[in-house]
Amino acid sequence: MSSKEIIDPVVIDETDRERTWVHFVLPFFLTVVALGVIAWVGITSYKATNNGALKLTRDLMDASQRYIGQEVGGYIMPASAGDMVASSMLAYTPPQLRDKIFYSYSTTMLQKVPQLQSFYLANDQGDFILITRAQQKGVFDHIKLVTKGKQRFFRHTLYNIRGIKIKEYEQSAGQYDPRERSWYKDTANVKGIKWAKPFLFPADRQLVMTSSIRFHSDDGHTFVYAANISLNELSDYLGDIKIGHDGNAMIVDNDGRMIAARDMLIVPHLFSSRWAVGRRLTSESRVLGPTNHPIFALGYDHYRVMGPGAAYITRKGKSYIVLSSKLKYSTGWVLLIVVPEKDFSSFATQSRRQSLKFVGIIIVFSGLLGGLFIRQLRRAERGLRIITEQRSQMIRESTAVWKVAVAPDLFNPTAEPTVLTEQLVQVTQARRASLWRFLHDGAGIICEDSYDGMQNTHTGGFQIGRSQLEPFFLAVEEGNIIEVPSADLDERTKAFDRLVMREIGTHALSMYPITGSLQRVQGVLILEDATIAPYQQYFMALVSAISGIRFSAQTQNESRLSSREDAKEKDNKIEKSILSPLQFNNLLMQDPALDSMRGVGVYDAVAVLVVTFSDPVIMNVRDVESLLTLISRLAIDVKTVAEEKQLFAVELAGHRMICMAGCTTQSDSNALVCIADAALKMREAFIRTLADADLEPVFSMGIDYGPAFGGMLGEEGHVFNLWGQTVSLAELMAESASDPGVIQVTERVYAVLREQYLLRSRGTFFASNLGVGRAYTLVARR
Amino acid sequence: MKISFTGPLLELKNAVPSFEESGLPPVPFNMRLMPGDCVFIDIHDISRATMLADVCSGLVPLESGSVQFMGFDWCRLNEKEVNSLRGRIGRITKRRSWPDFMPVHMAIMLQQLYHTTISQETLLFDAAVLSEEFGLPGLPMLNPNSMSAMDLHRANCVRALLGRPQLLLLEDPMRDASRELIDAFLRAITRARDYGAGVVWLASGNAMRKYYQQGVTSALRFTDNGFVTVRMG
Repeated sequence: MSSKEIIDPVVIDETDRERTWVHFVLPFFLTVVALGVIAWVGITSYKATNNGALKLTRDLMDASQRYIGQEVGGYIMPASAGDMVASSMLAYTPPQLRDKIFYSYSTTMLQKVPQLQSFYLANDQGDFILITRAQQKGVFDHIKLVTKGKQRFFRHTLYNIRGIKIKEYEQSAGQYDPRERSWYKDTANVKGIKWAKPFLFPADRQLVMTSSIRFHSDDGHTFVYAANISLNELSDYLGDIKIGHDGNAMIVDNDGRMIAARDMLIVPHLFSSRWAVGRRLTSESRVLGPTNHPIFALGYDHYRVMGPGAAYITRKGKSYIVLSSKLKYSTGWVLLIVVPEKDFSSFATQSRRQSLKFVGIIIVFSGLLGGLFIRQLRRAERGLRIITEQRSQMIRESTAVWKVAVAPDLFNPTAEPTVLTEQLVQVTQARRASLWRFLHDGAGIICEDSYDGMQNTHTGGFQIGRSQLEPFFLAVEEGNIIEVPSADLDERTKAFDRLVMREIGTHALSMYPITGSLQRVQGVLILEDATIAPYQQYFMALVSAISGIRFSAQTQNESRLSSREDAKEKDNKIEKSILSPLQFNNLLMQDPALDSMRGVGVYDAVAVLVVTFSDPVIMNVRDVESLLTLISRLAIDVKTVAEEKQLFAVELAGHRMICMAGCTTQSDSNALVCIADAALKMREAFIRTLADADLEPVFSMGIDYGPAFGGMLGEEGHVFNLWGQTVSLAELMAESASDPGVIQVTERVYAVLREQYLLRSRGTFFASNLGVGRAYTLVARR
Repeated sequence: MKISFTGPLLELKNAVPSFEESGLPPVPFNMRLMPGDCVFIDIHDISRATMLADVCSGLVPLESGSVQFMGFDWCRLNEKEVNSLRGRIGRITKRRSWPDFMPVHMAIMLQQLYHTTISQETLLFDAAVLSEEFGLPGLPMLNPNSMSAMDLHRANCVRALLGRPQLLLLEDPMRDASRELIDAFLRAITRARDYGAGVVWLASGNAMRKYYQQGVTSALRFTDNGFVTVRMG
């Protein structure tokens, strides 16, 4: 087996490994690293932006919260501050001026501070005065509790903004006693301002809250000064401030009741449950709960558990930020701010999306660039490979042309055209290239030379008859180039594939007709499993032209040889009449020259034919008699043929017969032809004789041609014997013939006879001490 | 290579081959083959002959019983020992055994190269000598599909006799063989028996006996109940 056929799958070519690294692994790795860096930068940027946006959001929320807290504090501060100022003033005021000062101060406060609703003043004697805003705008109602007899009345005196009395009337006060009112009673034992719980003011249904302060006058009485502040204004304020896009704020007390909120009297749509929409606020609905203000309720719950601060709340898939804080100047009030996350985090979300988009776009572009880079590398590598291949191909072709040009005896038809086939294989990378020549009568085609590139061996001389390859012959004679990818499937080349190509397992066939000087197709150039580029056709044309010249010369030589053989045959017939009488001992036949030979001689070119017969099966005496008769007839046949072909000697040895020719001191070039002709004639005679005796062919023949030594032996010199490898090989050929009746010859015989005889290859064989050689079957003379 | 062992060369002791693996009847088979003996087994179905040869080679698992070759039970050997022991078996099988991708000379030597430590040079020389003995001009170096059926038959004989096998498992080896090949083959197995090899000749009918009657030491018939001894002559 050729070493080229052995492929170790474990071994990876270093070039392939390097190519893989440079063209795939490295670019891929770099692309992945680049993508990773981009992704890392993108994520880091995203995180920084996100954190910054969140911090900014929180700062904004804190600022809003502080601002609202200050605003709320400023809103309710006039009530408590007014209480403090008024109580201090009234405590040291003479009793006869007390009412006047109360009204003056309170009227001024009502005029200047819109959220203040009314002021009270009551003492421990049950005296009670009140100033409040009348329903008519710019009018103040001075109310005083008076007693007439046993009945108590509220005396209303209405003043406009310029202090002009515009109306006065009385109204029954029933059993009203200010000392029984909570704003009065709750101030007992309280130092400083006492805030009462908010309540709905019955007159105008406003939510108001009372701040009151107890003080003692110089005359020893105890007074309570109180101020009502309207929380509706606070709600309106909360409704006016802008917190994000949909943000909202609410103030609740420590019992969870709403103090102020946007649209306080009408439950707002945004944060309310469905049932509460459009309903008026009641004392029950002021309690914060999941049914009226679910988001605020959650925020308040969070506040109660976690204390003031920010919280993230999710409800129905939406996220909210809730900020809670205690309000100054209040009795445990809590400011709740609720903002949908998207309002404040929209910037962060947008920034995040932008970052992700940028990262995605950069990654996609980087990937594309990486892919393009790899593709470009591959294309460049492919291009480089093609250029390298083309360069090496160019070198191969130039070398091939040069080798053909300098080949000696290129146009000598007797020299082997090995350079042509070798260079054809080099140029076309074919498995095998061969040159075939038509015989001069067109009855067959002979392989002048066949070169197997894989085995690096030359063979040739195969002959194939027209009858075996009629479609192939016709296709070649048309004179066209034929290229067949699968020769076994094409009718024209099917038989050629079976006879020639199958031996080495080739499939594709390219045939180039060879036209010589005789202006007819004289042969064909055949390439098996070749890779032929269109521009390479010139080389095939060149080789075809050279082969055409050679074939023309060979054909002319054949014609001359044929003429000479005919003449020689005539001469032989004349010489036959003057041959000396034969002497027989162990030799069935001998040449007259044998008489003059004594001792042992060495002959350079002896043709030896060995005929072996199978051992006969003898059952009785009659068998022996008939067998001897048959052998005698065969011997006569042999003698006749030997004499006709002028063999040197025919020796009998048991069931073997050795015919020899060319045992002369001068090399006889015609000896092998004589032996081959004799072998064919003997075979024909044997088959005929055996058939007459109703027997199958029980013989086989072998021929070799080469040096041998031998000579006349014994005192009388009647025994001639021949030894040497040539004889041994002829015996081996005879004994190893494939079938009975077959003439098997060695490669040496084939080399000489291939132009004149039809021979078929049996194949390549290895014999110990002889090495590798081919055996052929001699079929017929052309 | 000197080999010393006592006892039968091949012994089947109540060997019940796995039906699933071989298709042979799961019945006990008993046979003893001494060195130099030739046992003829009349077997009608040649595919069963192949499986029976596989049983003798330790290639078919057994339900019970044992198959011992040169005193070794196939089942008790490790893989390396089994491979080594199989190098001492020469087979002519009807199973397709010539790979297309390999020339015949490599295919001939492959079994010995795999199973034994005999050098390639020695095998090449021995194979060439055997090839000439069996009527080939030398060791064929062609692809199998380029060879005639008769030459492949000869190559089969070369492969079976290569490496001086101790056991020859022959599945109808001389069917369609020429007289010359039969003579050469009988000479070769006689020589093998002379150096102590045993021969198991599996064939249908008594065609073989007409040219090797005197060489057979015992004859058996393969039946669905196991081996049945048949009368010789």
